[in-house]
Amino acid sequence: MSQSRIIGAVDIGAASVTVLVGDIVNGRSLNIIGKQDATSEGVKKGEIVDFKAVSNSTHAAIMGAEKSAGTQIEAIFLSQTGSHLEGLYNSASVNVSASDNRVSDADMNRVMSEAKNKKLAEDRLYIHHIRNHFLLDGRPTREPLGMQGEKLEVGYWSVLGDERKVRDHIHVINGFGLNVEDIIVSSIASGTVIATDEEKRAGVMVIDLGAGATDWVIYQNGVAARTGVLPVGSDHINNDIALGLRVNRKYAEKLKLSFGKAVLEAEDKQEKVWMVGDQMIGDRRIPKQALVQVIRERVEEIFELVKKQAGELCSAKYLPAGVLLTGGGSQLDQIDVAAEKSLGVPARRGELPSWVHDNLQRPEYCTALGLLHFALSGQTLDDTAQQRRQRGLLRRVTQLFGT
Amino acid sequence: MSELNSKSFSGDLDSQGVRVKIIGVGGAGVNAVDRVQMTPHEQVHLAGVNTDAQALDSSPIGEKILIGKSVTRGLSTGGDVEIGQNAAEKDEAKLRQVVDGQDLVFLVAGLGGGTGSGAGPVIARLASEQGALVIAFVTLPFTFEGARHHEVAETALAAMRTHCDAVIPLPNDLLLQQMDESATVLDAFAQADAWIGRGVQSICAMLTQTGLINLDFAMLRKVFQGRGGKTLFGLGRGEGDDFMQEALNDLALCPLLHTPGFAKRADSLLVNIIGGTDLSISHVNQIMTAIAEKFGSKEQIVLGAVVDESFQQSVEICVIGATHLAGYRPERKSRPVMPRVEATPSPEPRQTRRATTDDELFDTSAAGSNRPVHESKLGKRQQTQFEIDQEEFLFVAEDEQRGFFDNTERNIFDGEDLDVPTYLRRGVRITL
Repeated sequence: MSQSRIIGAVDIGAASVTVLVGDIVNGRSLNIIGKQDATSEGVKKGEIVDFKAVSNSTHAAIMGAEKSAGTQIEAIFLSQTGSHLEGLYNSASVNVSASDNRVSDADMNRVMSEAKNKKLAEDRLYIHHIRNHFLLDGRPTREPLGMQGEKLEVGYWSVLGDERKVRDHIHVINGFGLNVEDIIVSSIASGTVIATDEEKRAGVMVIDLGAGATDWVIYQNGVAARTGVLPVGSDHINNDIALGLRVNRKYAEKLKLSFGKAVLEAEDKQEKVWMVGDQMIGDRRIPKQALVQVIRERVEEIFELVKKQAGELCSAKYLPAGVLLTGGGSQLDQIDVAAEKSLGVPARRGELPSWVHDNLQRPEYCTALGLLHFALSGQTLDDTAQQRRQRGLLRRVTQLFGT
Repeated sequence: MSELNSKSFSGDLDSQGVRVKIIGVGGAGVNAVDRVQMTPHEQVHLAGVNTDAQALDSSPIGEKILIGKSVTRGLSTGGDVEIGQNAAEKDEAKLRQVVDGQDLVFLVAGLGGGTGSGAGPVIARLASEQGALVIAFVTLPFTFEGARHHEVAETALAAMRTHCDAVIPLPNDLLLQQMDESATVLDAFAQADAWIGRGVQSICAMLTQTGLINLDFAMLRKVFQGRGGKTLFGLGRGEGDDFMQEALNDLALCPLLHTPGFAKRADSLLVNIIGGTDLSISHVNQIMTAIAEKFGSKEQIVLGAVVDESFQQSVEICVIGATHLAGYRPERKSRPVMPRVEATPSPEPRQTRRATTDDELFDTSAAGSNRPVHESKLGKRQQTQFEIDQEEFLFVAEDEQRGFFDNTERNIFDGEDLDVPTYLRRGVRITL
C-alpha cells in the first residue's frame, strides 16, 4: 500500500507569499498538487515588520493552496531570509580512537558534534550545518568510515540567524494550526533546484534576486560552501525609481516592468516613455535614460556587494559553471549582462528542471520548489539515517545537511 | 533679487519690524552667507562664526566672530566636533551678543565638519534662549566624503533639530541631481549655497513685502511652534506663458520634497506665493488647491501672496511646513519680541517634556538612536473624506509618500545606508 504525506512549502517574500503543496508518495516521489500566491503585506527586506499583516496574507495563501490541492497540508517547510542570517565556517578535529587506526562511527559522531556545537550568543541559533568535507590526515575524504588514519577533521558551513526572527516566521505558520517541519534558508532552497548536480560539483554560484532581499549560494564539490543574504532587492529598485523620477511606487513598478533594463544602451538616450500610458490627467513623459540609469546603478551595486560578501570564491577560478540568476528580479531585461560585468564571472538566467510543470516554470517559484525538494530528500534521509531527533523544531532544523 | 528689499522698507523694519540675522557657522556656513551677501539685504544682518581665523579673515561679511581662540588658537577644529562644541561653549558670551535681540535667526552650516556640527547646535540653543525663531539650513555631506562625515552629520542634525524651530537639511548628494553632468564639486557647493539663498530670500520676502494676502512673523512662528519634528521645505518657480503650471510642476519635482528623510506631509503649512501684478486671485486659488491636496493639512494652512513687479509673467512658490512629534500638544509660545528670559522656556523643561513622549528616541548622544521617529498626526486622518476624494487625482497614499523603507531598520553596509537610492549615494545625476 502506498503511503502519502502532504507537505506545504511556504515562501514568505516581500512581494508575495507562495505556497506549493506536494504529495510525497512512499517517501520517494513527489507530486505537486496545489499552488497559491498571495500578495504579501508586512514584509520588508525579507523580514517581518507587521506580524498581523504577514499572518493574514500567509494564511490566505495556505488556505488557497489547500483548496487547490483538495486536501489538507500535514506539515510545512518554510524558507528564511533576512539580514539577520549569517554564515560561519566551523571545523573540528579528533584523533582516531581505535587501535587499528580505522575510523569508527564514534569518531565521526564525535568530530561532527564538536564542530556543530560551537557556542553562540544568547539570541542566535544555527539553522543549517552544511558539511563541506572530511579530511583524514589532511586528505579530503568523502566517506571516512572504516578508512585508516590518525587525525579526522571536518568542516562545516553553518548558517545562523536571530532566534526571535526565526520564531516570528514559525509563529505565522503555527497561527494557522500547522507545524513547521523544517526551515531552509532561501539561498539554499533556490540553489538546490536551479543548479544541476554537475554544476554544483564543478562550482557554481546561484543568486536569487527577490523583492526584499538577494540571497546567494556558492557550490563547491557538490555542496553549498558559502551562503549569504544582501537585504537589498527589487523593492529597492522600485523605491529608487519612485524617488529619482518622482513617481509613486505603483508607477515605479510599472515603469520598471515595461521599460526597465539593467544596461544603458545608445538608443535609450533619446527615448521618452509615458508614466501611465493611458493619456490620463497627470501622466507625464519620462526620459528612458533616467529610468535605466536609476535601475542600473542599483543593480550594479547589488552585484558588487554580493561579490564583496562572497569574497575570493566569487571568481571564475572557483566558478567554472558560472553564475545562475533566479528569483523575480532576474526577469529584468539585460540583468545577466550587468551581473557578468559586475561579478567578472559569466552569468546567465537559471532554468528550472524540466520535471517542473509549465505553470510553475517561473523564477519566483524557485525557492518554494527548493523547499519541496528538501521535503522529499529529508524524508528519504529520515528512513536511512534514523537520526531525526524528535525534539523542538529549532533543534531539528539543522538535520538535513549534517547527517 | 535685490528687488526684494526696497529702501523705504528698511527704515520701518529697523524701528518696528522684524530683526533678522543670518549667521553662517563654520567654513561652509560662512561661505554660503558670503554668497547671500551679494544680493543686498538692508534689513537683514549677516554674521559669520568660525574657528578658523584665516578663513574668517578672507570673508567679506561685516560681523565676524572668531570662537575658540583659547581652544584652537585661531586654527580650525580639524573636523573634531568636540573641539567645535568646546569652542562655542567657551565663547558663549560673544555668541550671545550676536544673537541678542534678534527675532529671526537663520543658521547656515555645513554638517559633517567640526565647527558647523559642534558649534551649530550651541548657537541655535543660545539664539532660541534669547527668544528668536531659529531656522537652520544645513548641508549634509556627499556620500563620497565617507562614513565618518555622515555619522557626524547625522548626530549634529539630531542635535540641531532639538534646538531649532525648523531645520532644513540639504543633502549635497541630492543637490547634485540638479546640475549638469559637467558640474564640478565647486559647482555643487555653489548649488547648495544657491538653495540656501533662495530659501532665506523667500522667507524674508514673505515677511517684508506686502501683497494680496499678508503673512507676518507671528504666523511664521506659529507654524513652527512644535519643535523637534521634521521640516518640509520646497520651492517652485515658473516663468513664461504658462507660469502657473510650470511653477506647480517645478514644485512637484523639487528635490527637497523627495528625500527619504524629509517630511512630505505637514501638520502645519505655510505657503507664500510671489508673483507679478498679473497674479490673480484665481491663480492663488489654483496653487492653494494643488498644494493643500498634495501636502495634506487643511486645518493649519497659512497662505501668503506677495506682488513684486519684477515677477511679471512668473511666480515663485515657497512651501514651509512642520510635522509635529508624536504626542505633541501645541504649546503657546510668547510673542516675538520679549524679554529674553521668559521668552521661551529654558531647554531643560523642553527636554523632559520630550523625554516623556519617548525615552530613548531623543537621546542624541547615542549614535545609534540619533534618528528620532516622527509620527505625524496625519496618519490617523487618512480615511477622511478629503483623502478619499483625492484617490482619483493621482496623489499617492501616505505610506507611499514617505520613503518606502522609512520605518525599517537602517541597512548599513560599509557605512552606507543601502536603503538610500544608489544613484544618490554615487552622485549620478538623473535628468528628468
